Amino acid sequence: MVTFSIYYYFTRSTIQETTKENAVLIANNTVNRIELVLSTEERIPEIVAKMLESSFLDRDSLIPFLKSILKNNKNICGSSISYEPYYFPDKGMFYAPYVYRQGNLIRSTMLGNENYEYAFMDWYQIPKMTKTTYWSEPYFDEGGGNMLMTTYSVPFYTYKKGQRTFSGVVTIDISLEWLTKIMSTVKIFKTGYAFLISQNGTIITHPNKNYVMNQSIFTIAKENNQPGMREIGRQMVKGKSNFASADFKSKWHPGKLWINYKGLPSSHWSIGVIYPEKEMFASLRQINIILICLIIVGLFLLSLFTVKIIQKLTSPLKHFAESARLIAAGDFNVQLPEIKTQDEMKELYNSFSYMQKELAEYIVSLKDTTAAKEKIESELRIASEIQMAMIPHIFPPFPDLPQVDVFAVLKSAKEVGGDLYDFFVIDGNKFCFAIGDVSGKGVPASLFMAVTRTLVRSISDKETSPSVIVSTLNKSLSSNNESSMFVTFFLGVLDLTTGELRYSNAGHNPPVVIRENGAVVMFDKTKYIPVGLFEDFEYGELSLQLEHGDKIFLYTDGVNEAENIENKLFGDDNLMKVIGENVNASPRDLIHNMEVRLAEHVKGHTQSDDITMMTIVYNG
Amino acid sequence: MKSSNQFILKSGIVIFILFSSLLSQAQLPKLVFAPQWLPQAQFAGYYVAQEKGFYKEAGIDVEIIHPSANKQVTSLLASGKADVISLFLVTGMTLKNQGMDIVNVGQISQHSAILFVTKKSRGLSQLSQLNGKKIGIWKSGFDEVPKAMIAEKGYKVEWIPILSTVNLFMKDGIDAMTVMLYNEYDQIINCGLNENELNTFQAAKYGFDVPEDGLYCLKSTYANKKPELKKFLQATLKGWTYAANNKDYTIDVVLKRMQQAHVPANKVHQEWMLNKVLELIRPGNKGVKMGDLKETDFLKAVDILYSRNKVKPKYTFTDFYQPLSK
Repeated sequence: MVTFSIYYYFTRSTIQETTKENAVLIANNTVNRIELVLSTEERIPEIVAKMLESSFLDRDSLIPFLKSILKNNKNICGSSISYEPYYFPDKGMFYAPYVYRQGNLIRSTMLGNENYEYAFMDWYQIPKMTKTTYWSEPYFDEGGGNMLMTTYSVPFYTYKKGQRTFSGVVTIDISLEWLTKIMSTVKIFKTGYAFLISQNGTIITHPNKNYVMNQSIFTIAKENNQPGMREIGRQMVKGKSNFASADFKSKWHPGKLWINYKGLPSSHWSIGVIYPEKEMFASLRQINIILICLIIVGLFLLSLFTVKIIQKLTSPLKHFAESARLIAAGDFNVQLPEIKTQDEMKELYNSFSYMQKELAEYIVSLKDTTAAKEKIESELRIASEIQMAMIPHIFPPFPDLPQVDVFAVLKSAKEVGGDLYDFFVIDGNKFCFAIGDVSGKGVPASLFMAVTRTLVRSISDKETSPSVIVSTLNKSLSSNNESSMFVTFFLGVLDLTTGELRYSNAGHNPPVVIRENGAVVMFDKTKYIPVGLFEDFEYGELSLQLEHGDKIFLYTDGVNEAENIENKLFGDDNLMKVIGENVNASPRDLIHNMEVRLAEHVKGHTQSDDITMMTIVYNG
Repeated sequence: MKSSNQFILKSGIVIFILFSSLLSQAQLPKLVFAPQWLPQAQFAGYYVAQEKGFYKEAGIDVEIIHPSANKQVTSLLASGKADVISLFLVTGMTLKNQGMDIVNVGQISQHSAILFVTKKSRGLSQLSQLNGKKIGIWKSGFDEVPKAMIAEKGYKVEWIPILSTVNLFMKDGIDAMTVMLYNEYDQIINCGLNENELNTFQAAKYGFDVPEDGLYCLKSTYANKKPELKKFLQATLKGWTYAANNKDYTIDVVLKRMQQAHVPANKVHQEWMLNKVLELIRPGNKGVKMGDLKETDFLKAVDILYSRNKVKPKYTFTDFYQPLSK
């Protein structure tokens, strides 16, 4: 579109320029052709006037002289030397020899009589009064076939009493037929034309014959109410030249008009050439239409072509997209579209096919891994069940022994864990309980826990002393302990009849005793190391007297070392505080409330360690 | 047979009617009228009256002839080729003073239309500035009023006789020109000069508002053909009235006459002329009917002629003016 606009603008102004140049050329050419005749003929009377001034010619030779002028100048129809009235007193008022053509002959006569007082005619009076040469307004020659004529007059002077005095006028008559012919040959496009006006604006030639000599450019302008035309006429009679947009309309030429006008230097007439704009740009318009059609067709074909090419290039892309979808759905053997070229599409193909292969392999290995993982997980679940089964989980455990009440809870961090608790009755009246925390987590800890629990049960089958049990446990665990695992372990034996609690603490968190009267006291920190480290370590035992209603709260470090999101530990203080608030609570409630407070503290942070709690009440 | 008798009877009646109408036509009294110049809208009323048959209606057969450069209108009257002609008032009075036994039978123009015109570019904006200058004036006459205008002021000018065109004026061969407002003034405009490029000095504005075109005939013609002259005047005035109300038609008639006489013609100039002449015909508030000559106008003309020729008229108003309405 931009290209078209630029082209159109430049072409249009080029045409305008060219037309203008052409117009100027035509006008100049026409003017020159007319001037050629007129200015040549001008010379003749001018020379004659000079001759008369220098008295070259005497009266009797005037007519022969004039005849020879006509003989040698085909364009001149008549010529006279008209003297001022009474110049020759013997000749009276009028003395004006005149020669003229009549067919092939050249005749002569004398001008001037009472009906033809030439002294007052324009062709005499005007050169006399203006003291210069004069081309007359065109007129019809009634005598000779009504031809359009003009007369060129040159005043001549002679010396009377030493004074240079006006003495008469030399004239030549020229027919304007040849002029009309020249003007009618000026052809402008289809309906353009040229016209000629006189010094007064009178129409001398025009395609409309009715105008000639009847109208002037000014009367035409007034009749058609075209002030623009009057203005141009005024410029033309002043002898101006211009190529301008015509500020007027014509009845016979619809649309905008351009006019080029130029003055004739000799006669001060003026040529006007009319250019109908529509025709000026007719060929441009034609070209425009053709061009626009071509552009539309071209654009259409181009877009069609472009679409086809793009389609051809990108159809493999479509296939790639489809293949990608199929691969994503699981079909790794899908056929990729064939690429024959060695360009970007080929690279895409290579990448795609590599990706396809890699994906397939990866999926296979992933499947294997997942299967393996699932196997392990299912085995872990079974292990967890087995581990949970090892721990007593029926509460209350001894309905037949009202002297003791127990509640315990174990929450491992993973499927299987290293915490343990256990309790059982020895010899009918001794309540043995234990809590422990194997070092580490997960399967190794749980295995160690299982070993520990089994050992404890089997050792306490024969022994009843906590220190013996713990020492023996230690010996067993320490041997064949390549992995250097250990267990913090607290074992207590409560004599249900006396209420005496004998215990051994191997590096475990000190439990808390809750007296019946509400006093809460934490056991002292133990000096014994966890079991499983040194085979020969000797473990001692302490004893504590429980009264009716006293409680023991045991826990692993998963409780007091429970972290929240800021890694802030629950702490012994909180532990003691919670216990203090629940001194009268049942074992279940105490543990439950502790769980709640733990949960509040932890606030959803992942459990990092196993949590085990056990509460025992002595009711003996 | 009855039918053939009827046929002969019918054709006889038809022939008689035709013949009698021809006879009656031949019996219509004839009048030859000549306006003072070539066909133009200045004489539109006469052409229209003839074209519309007003003369025939009135009972006269009018032939219109025109003078030329060789045949002046007064010679047409003197030789009897024309029965009635139109002339300027002052011209008619001068001729009568010179001994031609003519009478005025109708005053068509009621106002003066004569003026001097100069180009503004020559810088002559006051009448006084025309003193010592060259003024064009028609050789053929109509010069009494302009010359009186200048003489009254005591100016001395060089009067350059003009035959018929405005070309000497256009070429600056003279400083000023005498023109008729309805004719040469418009011709100058039609040569490309704008009205605002001209200075005008109208006789009417300088106290010389003397009527112009009037109808004149020999006293003998008046005596012999008074009824025909009366019909002529009435039909002529009817023609002028019709022209005033049908300008487009009138101009077409005028153009046709001009083309027939091979006179260069265009609509625009004739339109101007017609409009101005129609204005001149109206008496306005002069207190006379259209076509009548007012005595005060006659006396004014007497004064002008006296100031020019220092000759008192040898006749009175009643000698000069023979109104046909009586």
